[in-house]
Amino acid sequence: MTPTWLLRRSAAPEPGTVDEPDPGTDATDAPAEPEAAEPEEAPAARPPNGRLRNAVLAVTAVVLVLGGCGFFYGAHQLRSQAPARNQALTDAEATSRVAGDVGNALARIFSYTPDGTAAAERSASTVLDGRAARQYETLFARVRDDLTEQRVTLSTRAVRTGVIELDGDRARLLVFLDQTSHRDPGKDKGDAAATTAAAQLTVTARLDDDRWRIVDIKAR
Amino acid sequence: MRRARILAGAGLVLALGVCGTGAWTYTQARTDDGLAYGRERDEALADGRDGIAVLTTLDAATRERAERSIRDWRAVSTGPLRKELGGTEAAAGTSARGTVTEAAVTALDTRSGTAKLIATVRVEVTPGGAKKPSTDRKRLEAVLARTGEGEWKVRALSAVPVAEEKGEER
Repeated sequence: MTPTWLLRRSAAPEPGTVDEPDPGTDATDAPAEPEAAEPEEAPAARPPNGRLRNAVLAVTAVVLVLGGCGFFYGAHQLRSQAPARNQALTDAEATSRVAGDVGNALARIFSYTPDGTAAAERSASTVLDGRAARQYETLFARVRDDLTEQRVTLSTRAVRTGVIELDGDRARLLVFLDQTSHRDPGKDKGDAAATTAAAQLTVTARLDDDRWRIVDIKAR
Repeated sequence: MRRARILAGAGLVLALGVCGTGAWTYTQARTDDGLAYGRERDEALADGRDGIAVLTTLDAATRERAERSIRDWRAVSTGPLRKELGGTEAAAGTSARGTVTEAAVTALDTRSGTAKLIATVRVEVTPGGAKKPSTDRKRLEAVLARTGEGEWKVRALSAVPVAEEKGEER
C-alpha cells in the first residue's frame, strides 16, 4: 500500500491525476503521514514549537480579553437600551402612582361649576407647569366668560390611563377622558341637557418635589 | 524561562478572569427579570400597534382586495376575534385606513402571555366610489395574547365607550 501512496503523492502535481482522487488514498493517508513526518520534522521544529506555543498563548489571552470586553459591552447595551430605561410597568408601584396622579390632576383641572372655575384654576396652578400651564391659561381666558354666562358644569373622569414611558422623573402617558357637560337651564326653563364627549390626551409629566406635575398636554 | 512561563500563566489566568466576569455580567443582564419584562412589554406594544393598524384597515376597492384585507386580519388576530373575523364576507364597498397615533400597554402578564393595550387610532374612511376620505378618531382597547412563536396577537378589540354608551365590537 505504501509504495502506491508514495507514487501517487509524487504523481499528484502532474496534471490529469489531480482530478481523480482514489477512494483508497484517504484511508492510507492518515496512518502513513505521522511515520513520514516525525523523523525529519521533530528535531528542527523544537524552537519554532516554543514560539508557536507562545503565539498561541498570546492569541488565546487576547481573544479571552476581547471576548470579556465584548460580554461587558453586551451587558452594558442590554442595561442602557431604551426598553431597559423605560420603567413603565416594570416598576409597578411608580407606574400606578404616576397614572393615578396624572388621572386625578386632569379630572380636577377639567371639572368646574359655573361659579367654581376658580377652584379648577387653583388646582391647575399646583399640578400644571411649563407649557401645559400656559396652554391652560390661554384656554381658560378664552372660555371663562362664556362658562359663567351659559352656566356650564363640566365634570371630567379619566377612564383609561396608560403609561407609555417612565424614565426616572419624566413620564409620558396616554389618557382617555370622559367629559360630561351640563348646561344649567336657569330658573324658568326645562330640564338640563347632559352631553358626554370623549377626549384623548398625551400627557408629559415631571416629578417635582415628589409630586408629578403635568408639563405638556397634546390632544390625540 | 521559568519566570516567563509563570508570567504567561498569570496573564492567561487574568485573561480568563476577564472573560469569565464578562460572561457572568452578560448572563446576569440577559436573564434579569426586570429587563426581560421590559423587552416583552416593548414587543407586545410593537406587535399590538401593528395588529390594531391592520384590524382598523380594510381596502375594499375590489372584492379581491377586501379578501386580502380580511386574510391580514386573520393573520394578526387569535382566539375568539379570529373566529369572528373568519365569518366576514368580503365585498367591495367602504374602505378604511387606520393609523395608530399613540398606544400604551396598561397590563402585562408575561407568565400567562397576556397583555392589555390602549390606543388612539385615526381612521380615514372612504365610502365606495367616493374620492374624499373622512377622518375619524377612535380610542380602542385591545387584549393581546402571546402565541407559541412568541408573537403577540390581538384576542379582542373594542372601542372604549363614552360613559353609558355601548362600545362597538369590531
